[in-house]
Amino acid sequence: MSEKVLELKQVTIKFGGVTALDSVDFHVNRGEICALIGPNGAGKTTVFNVITGVYPATSGEILFKEKSILGLKKHQVTKTGLARTFQNVRLFGEMTALDNVIVATDVHKRTGLVRALFGTPLNRREERSGSERAHELLKLVGIDHRSDQLAKNLPYGDQRRLEIARALGTEPEVLLLDEPAAGFNPAEKVELADLIKKIRDTGYTILLIEHDMSLIMGISDRVVVLDFGQKIADDLPTIVQNDPRVIEAYLGVPADAS
Amino acid sequence: MANLKSRFNLRDFGANLWEGWNRQTRVTFTLVLIGLVALLPFAASWGPTSFLNTPITSFENVLVYPVGMFVLMALGLNIVVGKSGLLDLGYVAFFAIGAYTQAIMSTTLGWNTWEVLPFGIAFAMVAGVMLGLPALRLRGDYLAIITLGFGEIIRIVALNLKITKGPDGIPGIPNPPAILGLDFSLENPSHYFWLVLGMILLVIWMIRRFTIRRPGRAWEAIRQDEDVASLMGVNTLIYKLWSFVIGGAVGGAAGVLYASKTMVISPDMFKFEVSILILGCVVFGGIGNIWGVVVGASILAYLPERIRFISDARQLVFGAVLILMMNLRPDGLLPRKKREKLTKRGSL
Repeated sequence: MSEKVLELKQVTIKFGGVTALDSVDFHVNRGEICALIGPNGAGKTTVFNVITGVYPATSGEILFKEKSILGLKKHQVTKTGLARTFQNVRLFGEMTALDNVIVATDVHKRTGLVRALFGTPLNRREERSGSERAHELLKLVGIDHRSDQLAKNLPYGDQRRLEIARALGTEPEVLLLDEPAAGFNPAEKVELADLIKKIRDTGYTILLIEHDMSLIMGISDRVVVLDFGQKIADDLPTIVQNDPRVIEAYLGVPADAS
Repeated sequence: MANLKSRFNLRDFGANLWEGWNRQTRVTFTLVLIGLVALLPFAASWGPTSFLNTPITSFENVLVYPVGMFVLMALGLNIVVGKSGLLDLGYVAFFAIGAYTQAIMSTTLGWNTWEVLPFGIAFAMVAGVMLGLPALRLRGDYLAIITLGFGEIIRIVALNLKITKGPDGIPGIPNPPAILGLDFSLENPSHYFWLVLGMILLVIWMIRRFTIRRPGRAWEAIRQDEDVASLMGVNTLIYKLWSFVIGGAVGGAAGVLYASKTMVISPDMFKFEVSILILGCVVFGGIGNIWGVVVGASILAYLPERIRFISDARQLVFGAVLILMMNLRPDGLLPRKKREKLTKRGSL
């Protein structure tokens, strides 16, 4: 049941004298929603960056489906089946919503420049399937009616949804969501939680960074807590919620305890 | 800062018109347009359009060089600068490589233009890879400086090698032999124009194919956000390299043709100014938009020839036009599409 699809082993990243991640050890099981939480500056986004190949790890090992992905280039990591969204929306603003997703679906296509130039049957098939798949994904996140609009002109909430659709376009096995609910009102957060659950039920594994505790407690199967680059907890949401170290990390130590 | 961009957008107007047409209307329009452009060499001798005539150089010759050549090169550079957003300040290098390939191979091996052409293109492409592999790891200003250096290196190499005959250049390059009923003697400049026109159409066809398919999407993604593009699985180095190589190939082809038209080439024809002027054509017309680039390059190449009668004040007027234009329309004459369409829609 709990097959480890993604595993970080003793991952350490140092930027000069700053240790952003200090021997972080955790894993994500296939088919679960795993939340990664922690106070600002705890290293959550750094975890995403090291997994997706943006930063090299100083030491440690990252296994995806039991193979090391450390040292792969960014596009190679994506091709193996890991895709992410961004904390601050980073869409291709001057492209339509549909094209944003199609760019991502191109990862697994075999059409190169020569095939594209001459419009071979393979290229036509791939162009059509990419477009169909993109429409499916836009429907999944609920913004297919906006497919022909430029990404920069979409409302903020739809932009966040488009980011998820674009990441899904690369056909990942593990989806990394970096604060997908940032800037959402409570009603939108509920909708997003439903969407994330729906995506998981479609067969994806999700690693989620989030600040909103009610959202996390509602949807995640497991919670990993980081503080100052170190893992301080890794358990069921209800247990983590009452973990004194987690409370301390978020709220500080009570004055009378010290 | 005040934005003086007019509300009426000619580019979008044209795009809307085009999208409203059926296939038959589009084909008819395209053929009529090509036909009209092909008739351009006769414009100078026909009454109503005789004002187009250029004073010093004959109009037919102006249409070949600079106009046709500039359009061709601007289209090639547009693949690099406009499509994938890489600032290339040494584009003249590819032009020079093509021209020198033609000059050396035709004078020493006795090959004709059509036999040399594939080699000219191939050498330019190889040069694109050689420049691109190290340079494309850098971005923005740093890339621009490296390409600038590359352009100068090629010129200085040509200036110093024995095989290129140094600053004297290579004389006696033969004209292309007749092909498809076109006779390339110096008395027939309009035949050269039709040849260049054919090449321009081929390049436009190629760019349009790329634009609506995977390569165009990849380039556009790279132009907008390179880091995100690679995180979405685009092999950015390969696609940037391809844009360099294809842009280079167009420049190389233009060079081969140019050398066999002028019959004499020397290193001072391939100075840094040419790179800048071609970049100017791209920016003036509208970075990234084929039609903008074609119109921009035509105007910038034609205007100095047309106003040659005011001799020394010519460059002054030319500069004033550039400054005025960039103030009024900072995005170029016909800016990039506001709704970039990178996939073919509807029935295939």
